[in-house]
Amino acid sequence: MITIEHVSKRRGSHQILTDITFTARPGRVTGFLGPNGAGKSSTLRILLGLDRAQTGLARVCGRPFAELTRPLTTVGAVLDGSGAHRSRTGRAHLRWVAASNGLPRGRVDEVLDVVGLTEAAGKRVGSYSLGMGRRLGLAAALLGDPEVLILDEPVNGLDPSGIRWMREFLRERASAGRTVLLSSHLMGELAETVDDVVVIDKGRIVSLGTLAEVTGGHRSLEDAFFALTSTSGSSW
Amino acid sequence: MTGLVRSELIKLLGLPSAWAAIGVGLLVAPVIAFITASSSSSAGADAGFQELAFGVVGAIILGVVAVSSEYLAEGDSSTGSRQITTSLTVLPSRTKFLVVKAAALVLVVGALALAAAAATVVITQSVLGAAAPETGTGTVLRVTGVVLYWVLTALLAAGITLMTRSGILPLTILVLNTSVVSVTYLLSRVVPAANYLPDLAGARMFVHEVESSAEIAPVTGGLVMTAWVAVVLVAAVAVFRRRDA
Repeated sequence: MITIEHVSKRRGSHQILTDITFTARPGRVTGFLGPNGAGKSSTLRILLGLDRAQTGLARVCGRPFAELTRPLTTVGAVLDGSGAHRSRTGRAHLRWVAASNGLPRGRVDEVLDVVGLTEAAGKRVGSYSLGMGRRLGLAAALLGDPEVLILDEPVNGLDPSGIRWMREFLRERASAGRTVLLSSHLMGELAETVDDVVVIDKGRIVSLGTLAEVTGGHRSLEDAFFALTSTSGSSW
Repeated sequence: MTGLVRSELIKLLGLPSAWAAIGVGLLVAPVIAFITASSSSSAGADAGFQELAFGVVGAIILGVVAVSSEYLAEGDSSTGSRQITTSLTVLPSRTKFLVVKAAALVLVVGALALAAAAATVVITQSVLGAAAPETGTGTVLRVTGVVLYWVLTALLAAGITLMTRSGILPLTILVLNTSVVSVTYLLSRVVPAANYLPDLAGARMFVHEVESSAEIAPVTGGLVMTAWVAVVLVAAVAVFRRRDA
């Protein structure tokens, strides 16, 4: 369960987020949708304690993220890229991450297998493709078999089979009762994956509800998205 | 906490640049000491210890790299991905993160300094024989001074890098000042107060024959350097705790 309440953030004179409030529930995939620069990553970074909000509270399983002692066992997060230093091997990255949360070394090979990186585990992260970097990030997030998964643009950089794999993987996590929150600016990729939708535009929530509720009278989630956000028509 | 320090050690020692720094730290002082001792007939009371003041370059690189590696962007194509995001999502307490990082750095640099100092003393003794500085309690105290100097210098480098978030500036300034042109030393020839800058004051812990207007006892020198490092670390921690990662 993820709860975000009245989160606002300003950077200099620029208001990045205004009164962001929504929840992501267990057993469901929640899609956090919005155009580039709408404030998706900022919201996720505040949720993870990486950035500070001026006001508001973000909680994971009822507690602020910063209060979790072994966070990997509660929350797995994949922000952009792999989150690994490029001169390490994929396996070496996962080893220090596992050690930091007191997780057994055996988990490293297990998660490498889950994301299909076993063969590339001995190569330096700097030689990874964008998609492989994303898989490594996901592997690190899965080390503690967490209740909650948070993913920023999870299908970015993945090839079509990778996208398909990611969709099925996230659906399985949700079916097992876990909470999945993912952000994306790609609507088409997501319509089949998400149960609930939160739409953000220019730092404000413009719509939220189940997929059916947000799609409403529109033909598709994509149509609804363009009708709801500032991207509609203007750039073409 | 020990698990966290172990993780931080794996993280630091998993970097090729950290091993390059360890190599530099292990080699510079013993090699220079060997060359100096072999080529001179008379040796001063600081034979070997002068060289250990140069060998600190290895500690500087380790201190810088321990922090700058957190902020190195992953690749040319990916803009935002840095190891710091992983570090703070697996250990959200920023204070704890810094304590653990400092602990790992102190352990590695302490061991490195001890090994480099031991090697340098042994080489100086065996090459100079009777002309070498006498060994005894004094040597133990001076080696302790070397270890403290290296550890404090590494923490200073790490603290500065935490503020700049990039290793280029601190690495350039600190390494150049130690190896090529000691700006602080030249300054101390003109302004006596410069003798109390951290590198010069701290070196008094183990270098005894200094051409200088200021008399600074080893313990005083150590305390002055510690005070400098404490100020830099407090400032760096304050900045780090407040800023967006």
